[in-house]
Amino acid sequence: MQHSGLAGPNVLTVRRTVAPFVYLLPLLVLLGLFTYWPLLNTVWLSLMRWNLNPGVPLQFEGLANYQRLVDSVLFADAARNTAYYILASIPLKVLLPLPFAVGIWALGSSGRIYRVVLFLPTLVSFVVISVVFLWLLNPIGGLVTQLGAMLGLPPGNVLASPTGAFWTIMALSTWKLLGFNILLYLAGLSRINRDQILAMRLDGASDWQVVRHLVWPMLTPTTFFVLVTTSIFTIQQVFTPIDILTRGGPFNATTNLFYMVYQYTFRTFDVGLGAAGTVVILVLLLAITLAKLRFLDRHVHYEQ
Amino acid sequence: MQLSPSWRVVFHILLFAIALSVLAPMLMVLATGFKPPAEVFDFRPWPVHPTLDNFRTILFETHFLHYFVNSVGTTLPRVAGQVAVGVLAAYAFARWRFPGSGALFALVMVAMMIPHQLTMIPNYILIARLDWFDTWQGLIVPNLAAPFAVFFLRQHFLSFPRELFDAAEMDGASSWRTLWHVVLPNLTPALAALTIVQFIETWNEYFWPLLVTSSDASRTLQLGIRHFLEEDFTNYGALMAGVTLASVPALLIFALLQRKVMDAFLDSGLKG
Repeated sequence: MQHSGLAGPNVLTVRRTVAPFVYLLPLLVLLGLFTYWPLLNTVWLSLMRWNLNPGVPLQFEGLANYQRLVDSVLFADAARNTAYYILASIPLKVLLPLPFAVGIWALGSSGRIYRVVLFLPTLVSFVVISVVFLWLLNPIGGLVTQLGAMLGLPPGNVLASPTGAFWTIMALSTWKLLGFNILLYLAGLSRINRDQILAMRLDGASDWQVVRHLVWPMLTPTTFFVLVTTSIFTIQQVFTPIDILTRGGPFNATTNLFYMVYQYTFRTFDVGLGAAGTVVILVLLLAITLAKLRFLDRHVHYEQ
Repeated sequence: MQLSPSWRVVFHILLFAIALSVLAPMLMVLATGFKPPAEVFDFRPWPVHPTLDNFRTILFETHFLHYFVNSVGTTLPRVAGQVAVGVLAAYAFARWRFPGSGALFALVMVAMMIPHQLTMIPNYILIARLDWFDTWQGLIVPNLAAPFAVFFLRQHFLSFPRELFDAAEMDGASSWRTLWHVVLPNLTPALAALTIVQFIETWNEYFWPLLVTSSDASRTLQLGIRHFLEEDFTNYGALMAGVTLASVPALLIFALLQRKVMDAFLDSGLKG
């Protein structure tokens, strides 16, 4: 073993200054190459006209790409659908999990089995879930189709109708995320001191008063947090079911901003528009994040 | 919380209903994998005439096994790299305060929120230039840095008593030795949790392989399943056998290490 006396103070100081960067080197190189440089490069590409063909030179377009983007029908539809996806997620993925989480929490140890079952969809890939939905919704014989027929619904392909396709994707992503959000709420609930409930009980508080004056205030920051992560998760992750089930159709009814960027870049090979769309999303994500940070600043008791 | 018996019943009914909505499709898929073609659209959640034909078809009459090998061969080195890069960086952040450490860590936190879709165009062009299109390295190398790994491990490293760092330094142990012989042996649970989360996320990944794979040379399982659909493969029994097999690794790990997997995923969900 090396003896500390062998290394003079200067050597030690130099080592201590350099050492952290040596350990950080692989991370910084990788992040620089595959995250930060691409972000900057995308901004540059958003000012160019190019068709992704290496043989074709890039043409400077300037901000005209952004004008073309904003004027395009696909952008208008994608932006509108993005808002719809988020709005529809609030009752289904943000509010619906709340009573279930409170139920599991209130049941204590006999509620544990539900946690395990509800976690399972987190482990299953979107590709698998999409294939299963295709099978369930198969116009000829699919189990959901049969069920619909029994209930007297008209036969046909749900995915061929704009409304049907949109709600199919919402249903699919709700199935995937519901249990996980319940677990997030449970993490928030676990911070509630059970002695405090007991004290309120002794003062004669009803179930409703406990929920209203203790549980709900404690859960507000978690609810906001779930809202933000769910919004980001939804617009980003529905990419897979969109690509497998509808490719953004019918009539752009299921595309969103993320899928639009893919459509422009890899379907119509309009790199400038794809890059401009990416920059728009980036600004949007930044705004959401800043809003979240400001909120968390004001509610310091959420320390995760 | 003391619940009245009637509330207990209400909650159990509600939770049972939601649990059933999760389990029912999963059980139907599992059962359909064992059903002959005539029963594929049958409501009974068990096969009347059980058969292994579907598994035989998917395994030996399609390229499923190719895809499986690609998934294993690209997921394992990628996760190993992510953990290694993460350990080194998290150690630096946890052990030393150095000029720029705050700013650099902020860069990691920001990178954690940047989805793949926002960096895809330049990365796609880079992979094409490197001639890595449709190769394993094209799937592995661009994903070797996982910001979440750095964030997650740093939290665990920070919980490590500082006195041990100081004592190791007094003994003349190099920082490298300290990492290997003092820090890591005490953090195996955190490393295991991180490995599991990254494994499952990589195994299930769709977006990046969609861009850079195009043949059996690199197509992963998730993309392989999509390819079946593109080829109008409508043998639903075999498809259900296939999606069952594709989901087995993640579900198996979960069956073995329930608590750890749930906690680690919660951490990754709470990161944002």
